[in-house]
Amino acid sequence: MAQDSVDLSSDYQFWMGKLSVWDQASTLESQQDTCLHLPQFQEFLRKLYGALKEMDFNTVIERFPTIGQLLAKSCWNSFILAYDESQKILICCLCCLINKEPQNSEESKLNSWIQSLISHILSAFRFDKKEVGRFTQGLGYAPVDYYPGLLKNMVLSLASELRENHLDGFNTQRRMAPERVTSLSRVCVPLVTLPDVEPLVEALLTCHGHEDQEILWPEFFDAVNEAFLQKKISLPTSAIVCLWLRHLPSLEKAVLHLFEKLISSERNCLRRIECFIKDSSLPQAACHPAIFWIVDEMFRYALLETDGAPEVLAAVQVFTQCFVEALEKENKQLKFSLKTYFPYASPSLAMVLLQNPTDIPQGHWHQPLKHISELLRKIVEDQTCGSCGGPFESWFLFAHFGGWANTAIEQLLMSEAEPPAALLWLLAFYYSPCDGSQQRAQTMVEVRAVLGCLLRLSRRATLSARDLLAAAGEGRDADAGPGASALIRRLLLTFLLRVPGGRAIARDAVALMAHTDEITHEIIGFLDQTLYRWDRLGIEAPGAGELAKELLQELHAQVQQRM
Amino acid sequence: MEPLLQHLERFSEVLVVSSTTHVSTWDPATVRRALQWARYLRHIYRRFGRHGRIRRAMERRLHNRWRLEGGFGSSPVPGLTNFQALGHCDILLSLRLLENRDLGDAARHHLLQQLFPGPGVPDTEEEPLQDRLACLARRRSAVHLLCFYGYKENQNLPEDSLLKTQAEMLLERLQEVVKAEAEGPSMFLSSLWERLPQNNFLKVIAAALLQPPLPPRPQEEDLELGGPKTPGEGGQELVHWLLGKSEVMAVFCRHLPAGLLTVVASRHRELSRVYLGLLTDWGRHLHYDLQKGIWVGDESQDVTWEELYDRFQSLCQAPPPLKDEVVTVLKSCKAQDGDFEVPGLSIWTDLLLALGSKRPVLGLLPGLSSLWATLCY
Repeated sequence: MAQDSVDLSSDYQFWMGKLSVWDQASTLESQQDTCLHLPQFQEFLRKLYGALKEMDFNTVIERFPTIGQLLAKSCWNSFILAYDESQKILICCLCCLINKEPQNSEESKLNSWIQSLISHILSAFRFDKKEVGRFTQGLGYAPVDYYPGLLKNMVLSLASELRENHLDGFNTQRRMAPERVTSLSRVCVPLVTLPDVEPLVEALLTCHGHEDQEILWPEFFDAVNEAFLQKKISLPTSAIVCLWLRHLPSLEKAVLHLFEKLISSERNCLRRIECFIKDSSLPQAACHPAIFWIVDEMFRYALLETDGAPEVLAAVQVFTQCFVEALEKENKQLKFSLKTYFPYASPSLAMVLLQNPTDIPQGHWHQPLKHISELLRKIVEDQTCGSCGGPFESWFLFAHFGGWANTAIEQLLMSEAEPPAALLWLLAFYYSPCDGSQQRAQTMVEVRAVLGCLLRLSRRATLSARDLLAAAGEGRDADAGPGASALIRRLLLTFLLRVPGGRAIARDAVALMAHTDEITHEIIGFLDQTLYRWDRLGIEAPGAGELAKELLQELHAQVQQRM
Repeated sequence: MEPLLQHLERFSEVLVVSSTTHVSTWDPATVRRALQWARYLRHIYRRFGRHGRIRRAMERRLHNRWRLEGGFGSSPVPGLTNFQALGHCDILLSLRLLENRDLGDAARHHLLQQLFPGPGVPDTEEEPLQDRLACLARRRSAVHLLCFYGYKENQNLPEDSLLKTQAEMLLERLQEVVKAEAEGPSMFLSSLWERLPQNNFLKVIAAALLQPPLPPRPQEEDLELGGPKTPGEGGQELVHWLLGKSEVMAVFCRHLPAGLLTVVASRHRELSRVYLGLLTDWGRHLHYDLQKGIWVGDESQDVTWEELYDRFQSLCQAPPPLKDEVVTVLKSCKAQDGDFEVPGLSIWTDLLLALGSKRPVLGLLPGLSSLWATLCY
């Protein structure tokens, strides 16, 4: 409490200084500085109100002898009055200063001065044009009757002027001077969240100057972006695209905001991740390649920084899927070629990856898988292919469409034929992209052996969880990399869901496998991802779906208990 | 029904009193009661806004009261003037009381407590008065900011936001008066003409005559039901009034810019005929000054050659049929004067010559072409 009051006092000094400088709001610098500090100043007002509310009049004057000056300066600053809830908090602060029982004429005078400030806030800025006032009064109207309509008309008139500006760039007489556009974007900073002003905000975002230089204020972009991210305003995607294209920091903030939401949300719930991603408008905006590149770049960094954390990988995949959906919705005839979005990828590989699996009959899924594997292998093993950016780039491209890897595992387990080398290679590559070719060949051998064991086990009349885990361990190199181990766990888990004999022992096997928190989470992630994928691809897996849901619930409960 | 209407009248009286010295006798309880009444009437507004019969009865009563108060808003602070005002009668009352210096300390203190319980105080109302007052303040500041830093008077007068807003208000009032007064809005308009600054009023009339026929704001927002609100109807009333008031019509045609009058004339054919009649009348007052070689008037209030030429030139840029009509009128005047082809004998010959020699092509004058673009629909 004591610390709070010290903080408030030093804040008070700081804002008193600021307000004195802003007094001359006529200079660009002071306007810019005001706009920059509006949210913080509002926060200060809130704190101040909290303190004033608890004090009696004399204490207030003792602690803040200049409070009247501070509040009066704020009342005369139209940027402050126009911002968010500042005018309301300001009135509440002023109300706290009113002396209930004025003892002398001095105190009465102070009371009436404060009341005049409150009146000023509520009926500030009468028109200097007398005839307008007389006309409206003559018609029997009060300002409350016409201010909303007037504001609406002003906003629409300015917005249409800006649009004409945009369309009619050559007619210099009708053009809005760039300085005027700039100053308009500046005064809109406090107004961004006022619903009446939305058409103007939209028009500003979509209006470009005819010079290469940006004519809108950076603070305007910040304010719009912040309001959009906080859901205080809604804007059409076209306007948001303009915002993010024109102001890179806003786009970066939007992506980081999404990351934060994903991190703080429940782990391993792709449905929710999909909601967050769609809600962010980023997939729709990413239909513009320049935005896609930035978002993708940030995902790439997130993957690299987390050593390919499964959660980040899942987010990349859901994002890509939402992006492809948006792309299909946006333009049936692609405005930009796919190559534009993945400039480093081989065009044929991008084409195959972008195919929607639901467009191909389930029985033929091995064909695109083989094709993908061959194309990738060629790129990865052919060191001369400089333009494709090395194995990581190829892996990153494939990782966007990681659902194919899961399909490959299911294909391998559902068929009794000799596992095709192409699929084995694809999985070995996906799970350990950094391996050399020798290591990868080793992983392929191991996977082939495990698959053989699983096939034999599936033919047995009775199967035990221990046998299964032993089979998975057989013939394994003791120091196989983490990638190969994760791949083999995937094989086992898929086996448990997809093979009838596996389902019978699934519960026991999962209990044996989930011996650490990390692996429990991995299994939860697998189950959630599988259910989500089956649902999307329309895969019907009788028995398996229910089992997966039950296991998921049980594991969730288990994790809850451990916490 | 009658008790409700009486409540309305009583509250309207309270509203009138709230800006007089009588409030010095108000104590906190009076303030509280007045605010409770306002809240109750706001509830009535929301409850009966879509109820045609009740709403019309209330509208009629309010209108009659307003008339009785001193004849159409001539009293500076009226009570409730229409049904719409019920929706924010609590704001009206609060602002009047706040601004009234005669309100006693205790009453004022109570008023502020009622209005601003503070942020985060749970409020039973759907949109608390506190928030609506703050929103009004915010909008006013927004208007100020836009006015001060971004706004420029629109060269297209009917597009100018201030004029447009005034025009919308005028049309809304006309609509109400038309509904309530058997003899139409003529008296109302004439009383406005006598009381209000005429220059502004003329511009507002022109802007009102050019408002699009559809209501500018979505109807559901206003709980609108009492028949569709079409400013076009109000516009028609304005035309009738102008046609009946030749002296106003003459000032209207004389003082407004040529371009604006042309657009009004092409929109309202009845007015265009009177306008052309006035122009030919004014033209007949001019005679040719042989020494100076120009057409001049005898008296100072006579129209000048330049004014006349500007108005005809602008009319000739209007789309047909107005443009053709103008040329026909000029030609028939010229024929009446003897159909001379030599300059200096008939003003009509000279006007036709001047207009013909510099025949402007529609679209080359940026100001006017954009006027057309926005007004021709």
